[in-house]
Amino acid sequence: MASEMESSLEASFSSSGAVSGASVFLPPARSRIFKIIVIGDSNVGKTCLTYRFCAGRFPDRTEATIGVDFRERAVEIDGERIKIQLWDTAGQERFRKSMVQHYYRNVHAVVFVYDMTNMASFHSLPSWIEECKQHLLASDIPRILVGNKCDLRSAIQVPTDLAQKFADTHSMPLFETSAKNPNDNDHVEAIFMTLAHKLKSHKPLMLSQPPDNGIILKPEPKPAVTCWC
Amino acid sequence: MALPSAQGDGPTSSRWDGGAEKTDFNAKRKKKVAEIYQALNSDPADVAALRRMAISEGGLLTDEIRQKVWPKLLNVNTSDPPPISGKDLRQVSKDYQQVLLDVRRSLRRFPPGMPEKQREGLQEELIDIILLILERNPQLHYYQGYHDIVVTFLLVVGEQLTTSLVEKLSTHHLRDFMDPTMDNTKHILNYLMPIIDQVNPELHDFMQSAEVGTIFALSWLITWFGHVLSDFRHVVRLYDFFLACHPLMPIYFAAVIVLYREQEVLDCDCDMASVHHLLSQIPQDLPYETLISRAGDLFVQFPPSELAREAAAQQQAEKTAASTFKDFELASAQQRPDTVLRQRFRGLLRPEDRTKDVLTKPRTNRFVKLAVMGLTVALGAAALAVVKSALEWAPKFQLQLFP
Repeated sequence: MASEMESSLEASFSSSGAVSGASVFLPPARSRIFKIIVIGDSNVGKTCLTYRFCAGRFPDRTEATIGVDFRERAVEIDGERIKIQLWDTAGQERFRKSMVQHYYRNVHAVVFVYDMTNMASFHSLPSWIEECKQHLLASDIPRILVGNKCDLRSAIQVPTDLAQKFADTHSMPLFETSAKNPNDNDHVEAIFMTLAHKLKSHKPLMLSQPPDNGIILKPEPKPAVTCWC
Repeated sequence: MALPSAQGDGPTSSRWDGGAEKTDFNAKRKKKVAEIYQALNSDPADVAALRRMAISEGGLLTDEIRQKVWPKLLNVNTSDPPPISGKDLRQVSKDYQQVLLDVRRSLRRFPPGMPEKQREGLQEELIDIILLILERNPQLHYYQGYHDIVVTFLLVVGEQLTTSLVEKLSTHHLRDFMDPTMDNTKHILNYLMPIIDQVNPELHDFMQSAEVGTIFALSWLITWFGHVLSDFRHVVRLYDFFLACHPLMPIYFAAVIVLYREQEVLDCDCDMASVHHLLSQIPQDLPYETLISRAGDLFVQFPPSELAREAAAQQQAEKTAASTFKDFELASAQQRPDTVLRQRFRGLLRPEDRTKDVLTKPRTNRFVKLAVMGLTVALGAAALAVVKSALEWAPKFQLQLFP
């Protein structure tokens, strides 16, 4: 799995030369934003994962997320400063229906999270995927699957091959990780960075300042949105 | 019309928690304690006075007083035996897993110095109370954040009383949050922007163009700020206020916080992420007493009935699946009595008329009116009119809460 990730990183690096070249001709003031929504059952570790990536450490204690929380981190990819926004959502089903949909707007990527020590959270994935389909207008938005809490080895309920099969069926890359394990810091980092690289080479993204008329981005480049690719 | 800044409190208004002269502070506090006990000890208890005390500066002051007054505010008879269940609810409840997860993670709600054993004991009680209320009221649905409300009661009044108080609260103030869906909660959140618009259109427009939505205030509303404030004293002070007021008061308080942070919001990048991020991080040093009285003023000036139409329109604009039919029905139903009342009371601004009017009104409404007058005496008769209509908006709260 690690090698799969590295190769994907490499691919992004090699394909992004044209992008950095183009940015020379544009005002550098605004950084691009990658908006990523993180979804999955209650207590699978969505808050811990996003916190880990944005703050660089496992949070001391987390509480149930009510509604939607937001974290962001600025990264540099191929010399371009990019803001990665992570939208951390509530796991309880009732919040999804009428509350969270507003936050699916302009989403560039989706991270599905399940708890490797909780089979039920894995079995919920099809309904999360369906949910996501209903909210997102574009069908080819990058999606990844993250199995969290892999440090709890003795409690694992979701075997890797089962998860891998599921990921393949839905054409998503699978990552098994732990937001808690200090040795895995680079790993959580790499997951989100892989996604960021993929996005960078994938399609135009909105600027820091969204257009006033609230255009919803579709995968096709639209004339109203600056395309840097 | 912009709200004056917090510094504009002026020299005449003394603060319970301020640095005013200590003797004055103690004297006022002592006087208030005496007044509260007087209201408690009169037969029957003077609930209207207790409501005023809960709203006015400093609220109910101590947990000892809260243990006595909160049941009165909710009309719960403390001598009734606490409800119990014969079943093993942890075995049969469909909500057990979710409640367990949420309560286990709620460490931050307990006082920092509390011994682990004691905290764990309280967490177990918390789970049992929630499951019991849910079992006794199958129409109620658990939501994440409900545990933040229940823990506040548990820490103030103890296990036995908590069940009765929270059960009452859940079938009244919190009822809309406990529907099978969150559509009604969303509807209540839709009051937020119209309130802001009334006071500060510039701020309103900025937030609209940022498309920030209202979810930043969701946890404020459904936990009565219990989820976001780390100082427990602030939480219980707000609970005093909300328990004494109309169920929509928390959304007015949310609006007041946003309005108070006007400059910070306007200085932010005009996009959803920046504004959501700023607003969802609630400052811990808010001037609560000032904000409470502003929220009361706003409620009186822009009562729910007046905002219903706009909130409904907002809902429509967002094309949600909510029951717009109900919204419009409410909006139109409220239109007439409200207007009529306001016209009727416009000429009655002299104090003697106001008193007379209060005395001739049915008892049910008088309690509420007096409470709000204690909050915003300056608004006088207008307050009476609008609060009455506000209650008509939600008649289900009226009879049970203000018998």
